[in-house]
Amino acid sequence: MTTYKIVSPRIGKPGDPYTPEDGVNVEALVAGGFIAPDKKSNKPNSEKE
Amino acid sequence: MATTTYLSNPVVTVNSVDLTDQATSATLTVRYDALESTAFGDTAHKFTAGLGNHELTVDLYMSYAASETYATLAALVGTTTTVKVKPASGANSATNPEMTLTGTYLEALPVMNAAMGTLATISLTFKGGVYSVATS
Repeated sequence: MTTYKIVSPRIGKPGDPYTPEDGVNVEALVAGGFIAPDKKSNKPNSEKE
Repeated sequence: MATTTYLSNPVVTVNSVDLTDQATSATLTVRYDALESTAFGDTAHKFTAGLGNHELTVDLYMSYAASETYATLAALVGTTTTVKVKPASGANSATNPEMTLTGTYLEALPVMNAAMGTLATISLTFKGGVYSVATS
């Protein structure tokens, strides 16, 4: 499952994980640059240190 | 006569993005289709509530800068989202209820509304969705 981190302060504290509320269009938030996939937490366990 | 005054300064959130500082007007109308239930013996029309048909209209300043109006809305047109309004900033309470439309549809987005010597503004209407109120 893809997890996201906050990029824009209009969403919350930048760097914090973002958990979408019911009905929120996550793709639009990514397209607008408000959130970004959290690559760190999306790595397979074998790639994590 | 007792009255209360209310300085309009609502919080407006569209798809989780706080656009309060770009908003100048917000009107959330809660509406249910009126289904006629008048029957023989009645002497006046009677109605009962049908499907919810709620609507939020917001006026916003247009901005094409990062994390502003256009960036928020460009990918939302033609899709559904969640919008929230509440009378003032601060915690939700009985006197500061947060109203939410979940799964509301943005049919149209004016991507340009420019006139010489004025700030660009747009008016949006979010249609439908499930209405709820949070007081805590």
